[in-house]
Amino acid sequence: MSEPRTYGGLTCDEVREVAGGFVLGALEPADDAAIRAHLAACPDAHEEIAELGGVLPVLAESAPVVEPSAELKGRIMAAAAEDLAARDAEGTPAFPTPDLVPIAFPNAEEREARRSRAPSRGRLLGIAAVIAIVALGGLNLALQTQLGAARSYEDGVAAVIDVAVQPGSLTAILTADGGTGAGLAAVSAFGEVAIAMQALAPTTGDQVYEAWVIGGDGVPVPLGSFKVGRAGTAFFEGVGLPTSGGILLALTLEPGPGATTPTMPIIVKGEATPAAG
Amino acid sequence: MDQPLRLRTASPADDADRAVLVRLAAGELDALEDLYDRYKTMAYSIAYRITSDATLAEDVVQEAFLGAWRNAGRYVEGRGSVKTWLLSIVHHRAIDAVRRRRPTTELPDVEVPPPAALTLPDVWPEVSAVLDADTVRSALATLSDVQREAIELAYFGGLTQQEIAERTATPLGTVKSRMRLGLLAMRRHLEEAST
Repeated sequence: MSEPRTYGGLTCDEVREVAGGFVLGALEPADDAAIRAHLAACPDAHEEIAELGGVLPVLAESAPVVEPSAELKGRIMAAAAEDLAARDAEGTPAFPTPDLVPIAFPNAEEREARRSRAPSRGRLLGIAAVIAIVALGGLNLALQTQLGAARSYEDGVAAVIDVAVQPGSLTAILTADGGTGAGLAAVSAFGEVAIAMQALAPTTGDQVYEAWVIGGDGVPVPLGSFKVGRAGTAFFEGVGLPTSGGILLALTLEPGPGATTPTMPIIVKGEATPAAG
Repeated sequence: MDQPLRLRTASPADDADRAVLVRLAAGELDALEDLYDRYKTMAYSIAYRITSDATLAEDVVQEAFLGAWRNAGRYVEGRGSVKTWLLSIVHHRAIDAVRRRRPTTELPDVEVPPPAALTLPDVWPEVSAVLDADTVRSALATLSDVQREAIELAYFGGLTQQEIAERTATPLGTVKSRMRLGLLAMRRHLEEAST
């Protein structure tokens, strides 16, 4: 009999065992992150989580009714007005952009949709494996926790996997190197590059993250730039990347778009190597 | 039971809430006022129950409403009502506040703020949009004393399973079971009451 499969380092039975503690928010951060990583990758719908979580409003309603002071409303409205003024000054859209919409973890419907996108079990395992690598591969705890909570990042990872599973593709795990952030990248045999990032510091003003490819000659070549919002996640696509192994992918935080050579230190980097399997 | 329970379906109140949320996400201050008027009592009650401190509870409520104001576009349909979404934000922030208030030896790492995604709530398709006091009481009555203790120490006290095990001198595995089985009992009670 084969060993039960694990996602996020946990079996389904282990997740069920702590489902109550999970929905109550009573797990240690590392355990909570492991559950989220499991739920993000596991093909099982884990209905028990939603079932138990659905009871929480009853607990909330059991709190004795107490009224806040009359002044609180004024303080909240004043703070919101201030926030709105700052937002207008920065030109930030009121609605967060769609790629910055994290959720707790995919629900059963979303997991089903994800399964239908994966044409083969091998590919599904590949996705799970890469997610597990990012979740547990020596990254810090905050990143592990954020993994399960950021659908935008998961969507980005899925897009990276789409590139990674193509024959002849290269993959890279990007890790912090003088900054914060981590993610995955894939380069197809045709030079198409996809990068999914999380835990990046948000950009402000004209700031952009610039993606670079550094070949054997050590000269950084710009791939393009992107901005990052409060969620810290980003997905970037570009073309024209050389597909020889051993190239380095890196991000720098530049004061504005259009840099032809890095003016700031590298934030994250990773070596592109042939995809396993 | 006067109010039959049911698994969540959209109600007129939900629709009105969602309309408020759309206006909120568009940056309409009036929408925030509407949301506050509708849910201030619920929000403050849960914050006060958790923090036992009027000032801290008001800070929590302020942060929660401002969090909703800034993140209204992140509300995901199908994951519970707006009310539950807001309640989750209040709960998370209140628990965070009491955990930060504890002695430093118990703190995780206050220097590192949680990642942005963590400030967002977990929301679940809840059992019912309508929960009157009798329903709440009868659901809670399905819990044994030890189950109630474990669940309340976690939900209102912000303690982890491990901390609850230590405080109640109970094996960790037992605490896990009490939480799971207690919530399950409440769930079943609510489902039975809805049929």
